[in-house]
Amino acid sequence: MKPRAHANWVVLLSFFLAYLLAVVPFPEWALNYRPQWVVMVLIYWVMALPYRFGIGFAWIAGLLMDVLDGSLLGLNALAFAIIAYITLSLHQRLRMFSLLQQSGVILAFAGLHLMMTYWMKIAAEQAVASDMLFLLGALSSAFVWPWMFLLLRQMRRGFVVT
Amino acid sequence: MFADSRFDYLDRVRYSLGFVTAPVYWVADFPASVSYWIDDVFVSHGDLIEENERLREELLFAQRELQLLAGLASENNRLRALQQASEEVRGRILPAEIINISSSPGSRRVLINRGAQHDVVVGQAVLDANGLMGQVTEVLPFTSWVMLITDSRHGTPVQVNRNGERAIARGSRGDVPELELEYVPETADIVVGDLLVSSGLGQRFPKDYPVAEVTSVVHDRGQPFARIKARPLAQLDRTRHVMLVELAEKELEMQLQGNSSSWAESGVKEELPADDAVKTTEEGEPAPATEAVEVENPDGSDVN
Repeated sequence: MKPRAHANWVVLLSFFLAYLLAVVPFPEWALNYRPQWVVMVLIYWVMALPYRFGIGFAWIAGLLMDVLDGSLLGLNALAFAIIAYITLSLHQRLRMFSLLQQSGVILAFAGLHLMMTYWMKIAAEQAVASDMLFLLGALSSAFVWPWMFLLLRQMRRGFVVT
Repeated sequence: MFADSRFDYLDRVRYSLGFVTAPVYWVADFPASVSYWIDDVFVSHGDLIEENERLREELLFAQRELQLLAGLASENNRLRALQQASEEVRGRILPAEIINISSSPGSRRVLINRGAQHDVVVGQAVLDANGLMGQVTEVLPFTSWVMLITDSRHGTPVQVNRNGERAIARGSRGDVPELELEYVPETADIVVGDLLVSSGLGQRFPKDYPVAEVTSVVHDRGQPFARIKARPLAQLDRTRHVMLVELAEKELEMQLQGNSSSWAESGVKEELPADDAVKTTEEGEPAPATEAVEVENPDGSDVN
């Protein structure tokens, strides 16, 4: 009946685009405003299909992010896994939220991700930003979220990703 | 994570994951390369002629400089030979392009389009036409990360071109990409406008390559050291084309061995010409010595 049981390529494509947006060069002044694309895509898929995408998936996605970013191997992996765990435990509540409420949650999640990587970098004696302006990335993520959510939902329904 | 920061057996994992992530960089760089391509293709005849003329003039100028330089280099070599020091070796150069910059604020790194497939190794110096840019810190299959000299974790051994005063230039922690000279005593003779060149003491960077220009010197009586800031000469945030210098570590090691053995020899016999010192090294360490001599000869003939 259905052409394919799981349209995996939709998920992979969305992640590929998110990675792309995450590494596309920004001017220096705009670096702090870069939304956390991969985190948002991850949260969406974990929220929408929690029985398919879980902590292990998030960990692998984080590892790839580490390699792309040139950061310490496991830094983003751990942060992603924690985010995925929280999303998993809250996914039923999150689905009930309005877009605006979800944006608030995304603000918290993206901020958590930024803070976690910040703390881990300090613990691992890596170079960190001298001020807290990098948290603006969470704000821009929350701003982008509604459009991204609608787009991804459209894709999920259109291509019957189950 | 701990394992990655402290040990290096995860390098292989990272390296193989690099194959997976390479396409992302290619696609991310696509707009930039297309715009460069368009710039190259759609260019008017007049512009081309103009550029050609300009380039020809620059070439003439550069050739004249090169002639002078060749003379200086040979003279330098003769002087060094008099001092029984081995001659300076210039490494080969690999052109590369910057295809991305680090997305994390707080670290200043760039990604270049040469990797392990092009024999890039960790520690290679990266230059542009105006000055020193940084060094390779991580090698992936087709790309590598370069830490710029303005990164707060990077220290560049420099010396003042005017008088040979040595210092270490560290990247600033602030938002402005500049260098700070660390632990320079109050009495050091460094003034605004001084050219800082690499001293080659770290054995990473080629010697005497321009690094930065001193922009401010603050003597604070409450502080034990002078606060000196410098502006890097390399166009760290504008250039796309860079050069990778082949790591001269092997040759440097040779030089060091040669030097140390000549020291030892000169301790035993007082008068020993330079040629003999090289020969004794060859006998002492057969494999690396012959290799380095082979490398040295073509370069020497190029210079002369």
